[in-house]
Amino acid sequence: MSFKINTYTKSREMFNRAFKVIPSGIYGHQGPSEGCYIPNDAFPLYSSKAQGTYFWDLDGNKYIDYMCGYGPNVLGYCDPDVDAAALEQLKKENCVTIPSSVMVDFAELLVDTVACADWAFFAKNGNDVTSLAVITARAATHRKKIVFFNGYYHGVSPWTQKLDYPGILEEEVCNNIYVPWNDYAALERVFEENKGEIAGIIAQPYMHGNFVDNEFPADGFWQKVRKLCDDNGTVLIIDDVRAGFRLDLAGSDHYFGFKADLICFCKALANGYNVSALCGRADLKDVVSSITYTGSYWMSAVPFAAGIACINKLKQINAPALFKEKGEKLTTGLVAAAKEHGFHLKATGAPALFYLRTADDDSLMIHQEFIAEMVKRGVFLTSHHNHFINASLSDEDINRTIEIAEEAFKVVREKHPL
Amino acid sequence: MLTTTDSKTMAYINMFAVLGTLENLCELDENASALLSGKKPIRIGFEVKGGPSATLLFKNGKCRMEDGIRDCEVKLPFSSCEKFNGLIDGTTTPIPSKGFTHIGFLLKTFVPLTDLLAKYLRPSEEDMKDPAFRKKSIEMTLYCAAVAISQVANHDQSGKFSANLIPDGEIAMGVKDSIGATLRVKDHHMVTIKKPCEHPRAAMEFSSLDVVGGVLSGQLSAMGCICDGTISMRGMVNMIDNVNRILDRVSLYLS
Repeated sequence: MSFKINTYTKSREMFNRAFKVIPSGIYGHQGPSEGCYIPNDAFPLYSSKAQGTYFWDLDGNKYIDYMCGYGPNVLGYCDPDVDAAALEQLKKENCVTIPSSVMVDFAELLVDTVACADWAFFAKNGNDVTSLAVITARAATHRKKIVFFNGYYHGVSPWTQKLDYPGILEEEVCNNIYVPWNDYAALERVFEENKGEIAGIIAQPYMHGNFVDNEFPADGFWQKVRKLCDDNGTVLIIDDVRAGFRLDLAGSDHYFGFKADLICFCKALANGYNVSALCGRADLKDVVSSITYTGSYWMSAVPFAAGIACINKLKQINAPALFKEKGEKLTTGLVAAAKEHGFHLKATGAPALFYLRTADDDSLMIHQEFIAEMVKRGVFLTSHHNHFINASLSDEDINRTIEIAEEAFKVVREKHPL
Repeated sequence: MLTTTDSKTMAYINMFAVLGTLENLCELDENASALLSGKKPIRIGFEVKGGPSATLLFKNGKCRMEDGIRDCEVKLPFSSCEKFNGLIDGTTTPIPSKGFTHIGFLLKTFVPLTDLLAKYLRPSEEDMKDPAFRKKSIEMTLYCAAVAISQVANHDQSGKFSANLIPDGEIAMGVKDSIGATLRVKDHHMVTIKKPCEHPRAAMEFSSLDVVGGVLSGQLSAMGCICDGTISMRGMVNMIDNVNRILDRVSLYLS
């Protein structure tokens, strides 16, 4: 079977307009640069509509989407239950002078759902709550230093960036300590060298960095980290923005058998409605109360209503089990398609957030060629970021994806004969 | 982002990137090779206390730079990086510790060569209107920047931070169907080779010399160029990402 090859005339025309009035045309991870569109002309640039597991670009090309808006699409684009709840709330109120009581309903739902949560604080983006978590750790401990694991991503605030990033001052990152992922001995050493100075550790529940195979925690790693934090009065922050509710509805710390002091959620929280949450243990609630931290839209009611509908539906369908099943089916098929053409495709991380790497060269160029061929045929993947499964992905979609992968690998093999 | 530069890194850039571009000047500009015509081979050594040392060999109308000092006819010692940087800025007059009989070469050949180099590396708007001059100027600027990237990666505080995140391998940096340079990384130490890369682990390709000129002069954003396709990248993009961060520092040093 031969699949249609997409063209992107309208996307390019729109980009040319955008380039004049928007920095880089499309800035950030959803653009050609940070999104690693390689080659640039293999990728669509603008969408026109989305439904379920699909989106359509400006030229009318349809995609099975494995980026899911980089995570927020957890149930399917335009999920009828979530959208109905949001619209119902919109008829009543949204952004008002005082908060809607639906905020309390949502907080109660999160406290009942997330294992380590005794309270919930709401904002808009993941970065809002990772920042609050770090401020909270410092306020609680009266210490400056924060430990990060290499390969991390915790947002874009200055404290999350690095010494060599444009516009980021040395003073803004001088209290950051970097430790290799899964290296408990190194972590212990850092605690010894900075005795009484470490306010918090911030970490994703497992290493889902870019350009490298994603890596689960070693056996007992988190339990040792938990004890190290307890012994040193350090706050353990889990950034569950990416993995949250896809591995375990009670939180990814619960999935890996430990309890975070603070846990950050965003992407899968409300199926695309803009809300994020910081949840935490009881004794940090008053610390958060003491912090000046707020935003114009942080108490908008519509995303809260959407969040309630989303979490309840995720529970109803036992989403983590569903994602695991679909993710395993898909990645098994993709790996087999690669093997058929003599390529070694590695799928790492949790199946719900699978990361792909064609391991036949150390430059990743073959992988980039494969991804480009997939996108041109209507399967939206990216070269170096983990992917996402959503609940509306069907077996038929998975089968079609695998068929396209077979053709894509065939094309790549023709360019690189054995 | 550091807001300051340091004189030691500047000295390494001045030595290997700026003076090192004399190699390319002698190849690309007929006036440069004419200045060397009929001259006996000569080696000029530059020794900077607490900084770099290198030898420029002029032979058969060409120039080659070697790391360290060896068998020099002329030796120019500098008591500090600042003094050496003054040579490039034109605020320091060097006094040879060896090779007084070759003062004529220094004054009548070497100084005109460096003046010519400055003309290409800091071109006037008027000169850049000439397409032939413009092509040579951008080409030399690319080689100068490519070498400066390695010096910043190896010596500058922020550059070393970026280099520490670059895995081993070769990065191709060049212009489509034209010139290129190779950045070779091993254990976070970087070396620039002024030849196209045959087996890159990552590649950054400019669509034209004009795009190179625009980016290196700060008139175009590398990120914007990647987005509009005038710079393409492939391979280990994280290597290129860190090189771009080093390139930001290079701009600060060379500005």
